Amino acid sequence: MQRATLNRMTPYAFMAPAAIVMVIALLYPLLYMVWGSFRDWNPAQTIGETEFVGFKNYITLFYDPAFRESLSVTLRFAVIVVSVEMVIGVGLALLLDRNIRGMSVLRTLFILPMMIAPVVVGLMWRYMYHPTVGTFNRWLKSIGLEGVDWLGQNALMSVIIADIWQWTPFIFILALAALQSLPRSALEAARIDGATPWQQIWHIKIPLMMPVLIVTCLLRLIDAFKVLEVILVMTEGGPGLSTEILALRISRTATEFRELGVAAAMSNYLLILLLILTAAMFAYTKIQEAREARIRAAAEEDM
Amino acid sequence: MAKSDYDRQNPAFYALLAVLIFMSVGPIALMFINSFKLDVDIISGTSGLLFLPTIQNYETALCDVLPYELDHLDFCSLKFGGAFINSLIIALISTVLTLVIGCMAAYALVRFRFIGRDTASLTTLMVRMVPPAVLLVPVFGLWNNEFCIDKATLVGGFIRDVFGGRGDVCLAGTHSGIILIYIAMNLPFVIWILQSFIVQVPYSLEEAARVDGATPFQVFFKVVLPLIKPGLAAAAIFTFRIAWNEYLLASALSDRNTKTVPILIVNNMSEFNVEWGVIMATGMLLAIPPIIFTLLASRQIITGMTAGAVKG
Amino acid sequence: MLKTLKLAAAGMAVSATALMANPYADYEGTTLIVNFPAHPHYNAVMKILPEFTKETGIEVEVDQLPYLKMRERQTLELAQDEGEYDLIAYVVFSKADYVYADQLENLAKYFMNPKLADPNYDSSDLIDGYVYNIGFAGGDKGYLEGPTGSLFGIPYGSETSILGYRKDIFEKHGLEVPETYDEMLEIACKIPELEPGMGGLSSRAASGHHASHAFLLHLAPLGGRVFDDQWNPIVNNEAGVAAANALKTIVDCGPEGAASFGFGEALGSFLNGDTAMFLDTTVVAGQIDDPSKSKVVGNVGWAMHPMGVRRGSQTGGFGIGIPSNAENKEAAFLLMQWLTSKHGDKLVALAGGNPSRFSTHADADVNAKFPHMATFGEALKHADPDWRPIIPVWGKINADLGTTLSKVLTEDLDIQVALDGVAERTRAVMEEAGYYTWQ
Repeated sequence: MQRATLNRMTPYAFMAPAAIVMVIALLYPLLYMVWGSFRDWNPAQTIGETEFVGFKNYITLFYDPAFRESLSVTLRFAVIVVSVEMVIGVGLALLLDRNIRGMSVLRTLFILPMMIAPVVVGLMWRYMYHPTVGTFNRWLKSIGLEGVDWLGQNALMSVIIADIWQWTPFIFILALAALQSLPRSALEAARIDGATPWQQIWHIKIPLMMPVLIVTCLLRLIDAFKVLEVILVMTEGGPGLSTEILALRISRTATEFRELGVAAAMSNYLLILLLILTAAMFAYTKIQEAREARIRAAAEEDM
Repeated sequence: MAKSDYDRQNPAFYALLAVLIFMSVGPIALMFINSFKLDVDIISGTSGLLFLPTIQNYETALCDVLPYELDHLDFCSLKFGGAFINSLIIALISTVLTLVIGCMAAYALVRFRFIGRDTASLTTLMVRMVPPAVLLVPVFGLWNNEFCIDKATLVGGFIRDVFGGRGDVCLAGTHSGIILIYIAMNLPFVIWILQSFIVQVPYSLEEAARVDGATPFQVFFKVVLPLIKPGLAAAAIFTFRIAWNEYLLASALSDRNTKTVPILIVNNMSEFNVEWGVIMATGMLLAIPPIIFTLLASRQIITGMTAGAVKG
Repeated sequence: MLKTLKLAAAGMAVSATALMANPYADYEGTTLIVNFPAHPHYNAVMKILPEFTKETGIEVEVDQLPYLKMRERQTLELAQDEGEYDLIAYVVFSKADYVYADQLENLAKYFMNPKLADPNYDSSDLIDGYVYNIGFAGGDKGYLEGPTGSLFGIPYGSETSILGYRKDIFEKHGLEVPETYDEMLEIACKIPELEPGMGGLSSRAASGHHASHAFLLHLAPLGGRVFDDQWNPIVNNEAGVAAANALKTIVDCGPEGAASFGFGEALGSFLNGDTAMFLDTTVVAGQIDDPSKSKVVGNVGWAMHPMGVRRGSQTGGFGIGIPSNAENKEAAFLLMQWLTSKHGDKLVALAGGNPSRFSTHADADVNAKFPHMATFGEALKHADPDWRPIIPVWGKINADLGTTLSKVLTEDLDIQVALDGVAERTRAVMEEAGYYTWQ
């Protein structure tokens, strides 16, 4: 009898530490933030001393051109980064999905960039982009071309390039793993039917990889909204607001402008945005899964 | 087709490979080389490999832990050694704790059906997407003002007597404060990865152990844990990586004694004096542990990365 | 524990040597925790602090941070009931926040205390403009000198703006050192033609604080102000547009990538010989003469900040003050007094810092080591204490001004439109902060 109670309690005992930590250090802070976002709050005050201002912070932000700009920079950054990385990453995976010597060495070298601290990545690229002493401009000039104003006029592009450098390997490796776990039979069948390599890619490989690709894409998208350090070190959000992504704007609002309430409201906007994106991706995955089941059934009939 | 021989490829293919490798490793190599140059050499661009390597940058960076005085420095401004130790303490402790807590939770989520399981599972997934920047404001407020022990109380007074310092005892400015938020941040990810490994542990093994009279905790520690070692390794590396590299929250929570290396690097990019050589040296020192992990355990890293996404 | 014992022992050793009346005796063995910026002047201070410990037996532990970080840290520390720092250096524009929130000690009670105040301090030797600018609060407009003001800090690390130029380049092309803004802008744009690959004048221009700073640098000499006497924003008047135009011209004729330069990059390009002129703070002099950092050693001449409709160089730099929540306030005052005394000021000047006393600028030893010191002293006299408003909401206005100007520089936003926008938003900020209550 006692044993049974013990057994019933077991899952809760296993879950308890994780639950406690997450409640104290994640869920409670998130609620605290929601509460704080309705207050006029500067860092010198405890939240008890602050004044309740209703939706003022949200409304101010909604009409704040700087916030809107930063929101649009964030979206542009995330969309461009993720789509370019998906195309290059999946492309490379399709290209390199061959049985060649040294593949594991190659993969090891590829994951190096994403293991390195974003702060370090930022400073490496800041150096390479430097208008006069940087590697790129020096190289351009040595072959007789004009230098490019990387972190000035083309800041967003430069930041995007750095992110692509760091994170394309992630997609490459996931896509490669997906490719290598594809059912050989379907590929063989296609080959025997005389499908060209292009047809194999478009009609067999990509659709079969789709579930993995969608998860990968979702993961990258979420991460793209987390980027902060690289940009902070490279441009500090400038010039103008051209690279001031929301995460950076939140941190500046909190520390530089000393408006914690506004920063909290901004954080909430960002969370809502991410929620919508995630939900949309999940819904899409469900639809895709249904479709894929049909494709698979069709492919089996063909054989 | 015999699996053992490798396919022959045309030369263009190898050229492409070479370019890719150059692109991914090039910047790191460049930083490595520059960290051995004097600022004058870096700025004047005596390009390529024609320069006199010097370890002066590393000496400057490590001036607080070197046993000898440096001639080129009037005083030691960069306390890299201390920050490195802080980073190690924080990253190691938070990794160990996250793993222990995380795999217990993952095990419960996979093996038991209990009330609230779905909620727990969903919450875990949802909080994965919370960016650190979103946590900045609440964590800053809570850690500094709410998660405190009054110094007039017994415990608070005791801590002040033992560790010194002034004012109420708060989580902010302590190693524990930073460790706590890192554990919370990493838990969802670790639980997610480990679930996919635990699913693969044959249930019959656990049954057998249970028939032999093992308690659920014994089953977990003696049977399940050894079997998911690769998963643990992967999760450990990822957790360590995040804790080791994180800047934003650490910078909001640390004080002068608990600064970590990323904070030091960002601080050192101060506007008055961009000392590229020293910065690159500190960057290199920060990058070395993750690079070593990658070279030693790339297989585990890749398994870990693909485990979550590919296996579902 | 061990550390305290060691300190106490060290303190005893010192006290044995100074049995005479020693004002520092009561504080021997105290460890002061001070917060200084990572800044050339304070790097010089780091070099002379061991001397203070030797003379007084008071230990000093320094937390050096980049100055924006330093301000963040202080915001947090000063708000606690009991703070960690005994003495802080603060940026001029923090004065408003700290004094307003009652976080800095009024210094009167220390200067009145006969046990602490040194009769030979000679306060009239401190450069008065800076004392008012950095240390005073409560006078005119709340932040300037005036009969109702009092002292909360002492300037330490006084900077003003000065024009550095390449003597060799100017000589080679027979150029005159510019006296006025028109001349300066003309030469700035002539240089790239005369010396292909070289920029005219390197200025900071990066988004945010840098761009705003560069703009304000031109605004005062060109006759502009951010606010009129009634706190109405007038940044978009003729002088404002002229200042923005000057900044744009300078950046356009500047070195490559000038629009993204922070202070470090701007200085770097001058040090590297990529530009012929440099208009910014006096703090750079030390680095320009340092052969390990500079390729232009010996080729740089110094001149006053050129005149527009008036002389008006910046007043900048740092002050030091005692937080209200400090633990060792009296010992902190002793350190503060020692650092800003004639003796301390000269020591720091010789170590490469920016002195804050008239006597130090005229000092023979200092001038022998740094020949530019006399020019700098002259420039300090023309420093304009009101070149930038020091009010609590300035941080926000500054950020807006800086990002908007950066758009002017990189995205070709029309200057008048841009400044009108700044003025409008500034008015809203001021309105909310209650500056128009009396209108």
